[in-house]
Amino acid sequence: MMTRFRPVRRAARVVALALAGTLALTACGPGGSGDGTEEGAAPLIIPREDMGTFVRNFNPFSPNVAPMTQQAVYEPMFVYNPADGSTTPWLATEWSVSDDGLQLTFSLREGVQWSDGEPLVAQDVATTFELQKEVLGGYEYLDKAEAVDDATVVLHLNRVYSPALYEIGQQIIIPDHVWSQVADPAKETNESPVGTGPYTEVIRFESQSFDLGPNPSYWQPEKQKIPSIRMLAFAGNDGANLAAANGEVDWAPQFIPNIEQAFVARDPEHNHYWFPPTGSMINWQLNTTKAPYDDVDVRKALSMAIDRQQIVDVAMQGYTYPADCTGLSGAYDTWRDQGLADSCEWTQRDVEAANALLDDAGYPRGGDGNRTLKDGSPFTATISVGSTSSDWLSVAEIISQNLAEIGVEASVDAPDWSAVVAGYEDGSFDSGIVWSNNAPTPYQFYRGVMSTATVKPVGEKTFENYHRFGDEQADTLLDELAATADQDAQHALVNELQAEFDARAPVIPLFPGPEWGAYTDARFTGWPTEENPYATLSTRAPTTVLVLTTLEPVQG
Amino acid sequence: MQFVLRRLGFYLLAFWVSVTLNFLLPRFMPGDPVSRMFARSQSRMTPEQITQLRQLFGLDDRPLWRQYVDYLGNVVTGDMGVSISRFPTPVVEVIAGQIGWTVLLGGTALLIAVVVGNLLGILAAWRRGGFLDSMMPPFLVFVGSFPYFWLAMGALYLFGVSLGWFPLRHAFSAGTSPAWTGEFASDVALHLVLPAVTIVVVSIGGWMLAMRNTMIATNAEDYIVMAEAKGLRPGRIMFRYAARNAMLPAVTSFGMSLGFVVGGALLTEVVFAYPGVGYQLLAAVQGLDYPLMQGIFLTITAAVLLVNFLVDIVYVRLDPRVRVS
Repeated sequence: MMTRFRPVRRAARVVALALAGTLALTACGPGGSGDGTEEGAAPLIIPREDMGTFVRNFNPFSPNVAPMTQQAVYEPMFVYNPADGSTTPWLATEWSVSDDGLQLTFSLREGVQWSDGEPLVAQDVATTFELQKEVLGGYEYLDKAEAVDDATVVLHLNRVYSPALYEIGQQIIIPDHVWSQVADPAKETNESPVGTGPYTEVIRFESQSFDLGPNPSYWQPEKQKIPSIRMLAFAGNDGANLAAANGEVDWAPQFIPNIEQAFVARDPEHNHYWFPPTGSMINWQLNTTKAPYDDVDVRKALSMAIDRQQIVDVAMQGYTYPADCTGLSGAYDTWRDQGLADSCEWTQRDVEAANALLDDAGYPRGGDGNRTLKDGSPFTATISVGSTSSDWLSVAEIISQNLAEIGVEASVDAPDWSAVVAGYEDGSFDSGIVWSNNAPTPYQFYRGVMSTATVKPVGEKTFENYHRFGDEQADTLLDELAATADQDAQHALVNELQAEFDARAPVIPLFPGPEWGAYTDARFTGWPTEENPYATLSTRAPTTVLVLTTLEPVQG
Repeated sequence: MQFVLRRLGFYLLAFWVSVTLNFLLPRFMPGDPVSRMFARSQSRMTPEQITQLRQLFGLDDRPLWRQYVDYLGNVVTGDMGVSISRFPTPVVEVIAGQIGWTVLLGGTALLIAVVVGNLLGILAAWRRGGFLDSMMPPFLVFVGSFPYFWLAMGALYLFGVSLGWFPLRHAFSAGTSPAWTGEFASDVALHLVLPAVTIVVVSIGGWMLAMRNTMIATNAEDYIVMAEAKGLRPGRIMFRYAARNAMLPAVTSFGMSLGFVVGGALLTEVVFAYPGVGYQLLAAVQGLDYPLMQGIFLTITAAVLLVNFLVDIVYVRLDPRVRVS
């Protein structure tokens, strides 16, 4: 009889063992956890909030490359910093544009070595552009990059294009002697990268974190003061914010809501943040293929109804400032026509003027206070925003309340971002809160909001100028701007573009997007700040390398 | 044997249906992977790069039926293609890199919940109206009806942040590498406690209640009275006579749950930054990464069907009635 008990007993014993095991593990508690600083010196710890796990892929041509590849492993010829408008020579020491604007010559820095000890030569630059064009596209204006001698590279353009200098200068450079051996550069995962950057050595790679160590042959060894860089993977902002609030990461580039209380108050002495308004301009885009948005007076009247100060203070928690009628974000302060910006009319809140403008333009207010369009149908607006962007959702809510004051009924439509963007792309949307192009010069911004070259008919997919507004005057100015290399002439043209933007109001600018960035100086000092804006606090920008080569560990 | 074959045929049909849905559903969603990627990058990519990326990812304009035929072929050969959101890593590698953690977390949590939940259910039903029976079910249902996200966050703050007993994230400490050492194993176990316990806490109530209810019905059967009349020891009656029969529905649910384990535990992965398939799947859906989506769904489908098939076979052994009918 007893034998028949056995299976149950055995099962019970297994369970008991499992439970005991769990308890034992529980009991060993904090003693069992090390925070992995066995190398002695603490690494610079950076969270990445939108990657649940990392994949060991350091291929700079891959759209899903591991973080820091383009910041710590590979370097560009120069670094442009939108926070103060300065340009820092990096792998190139000087560069020049030929008189006809068709040739850019870069002189490479002497003594730069790849992390495998090979010297940096002009052929590396030439190969970089060849591969970039082949794998990822872009650079249509570039005919070829030619290595004249080991230290000089000439880029031949097929047409004059003034933004080219910044695009080419900021392209990260890869080693020819490595990549010419790669059979299929698009599919290479480049597990052990060879770069000129300050931190190129993959010490350890796990799917949830990886460590990058110093490049043994870096060209400015005196600036490699960080022992190593450690990236941590997070599936969402919450986990990353918790780590930041707990002081477990040094640099927190993700959005932290209510940052004063959630982050700074946890350690006011060390925890700081700085949100320079150098992101892309955030606009309320109206589908200008539809009535009444094809009427410039309507666009301006709607803009005047908006309380930008409230949007900035409430929806954006005071992290940015209201846009002006040049449409330029904080990254273009050196280009801004201050005279124009000071005398803006349609970006100032003025409900009375907005009402008068709509009355005059032929959108009468009915007995119920609501306006009608010229064909007699009610004047309504739908504002689309992706449901996950809570800050932009409140922006849309505020706009919708503001519009009620001028007799326009606006509703907020918040499906998934993908559905919103699909509507933008094929032109079926009504209006939406949308980002804009952001590049070192205002050329791309203005091209994206008002050149006819970027306008696609409704139904055909487009990836910029969703609102489908084209202006021939702007085309002329943009073409001239692209074709001139002279700084003064460029500024004059950009002034004219600002005036054109002011006159035509292709989109309704709301506020410049802040570049999120928070840090703790408990372990590392030398961070960029508002007083010393030598870079932004972004970990994905070209300026990141400037921060990595400036930070130093706190002594003691 | 005929029973097993019939079930096998049914499972093949079910597999084909789900594989087909798996192919169609993602393609009904608006947009395509490149425009998703472009929208997410918010102006950090130039429109000129989009055409190039399309080619790079091998997105094509082949007719749907053609894609479907190729897809079926790939399913059979196990070639799931290259992930788009993780380009150029093959789907198989993306899944293989995560599924171990998912199975570890989900499997541990499920096993504890099932074993403890069923034991509690058996004991509660055996001593009806006793302490266990009157206190545990309401309490467990109360705890289990909290939103998981809230509960997990609460546990994380209390035991992770405030008390500091457990690590806050990941499957093992940053700066260590997997190794077959006791030290690493205990590190992994320590990281597993909070995620697993929170899952157990919300799911155990269901197991206990279900077991208790069937057990009560079983206890009223004549053969239990007969066993008691024979003078068998209560423990023997409880496990060998009552619980063995009451166990059948639990075996079915266990099979179902075991299959779904490979789908990952999305919320757990988000709260505890635990590596796993769940977040991969979410990212794949958001990024319209067809190959990865298909790969994960296929894995889930295959696992659910396989486990169910195994359960069916176990059933034949456990329940003589199945053999007869």
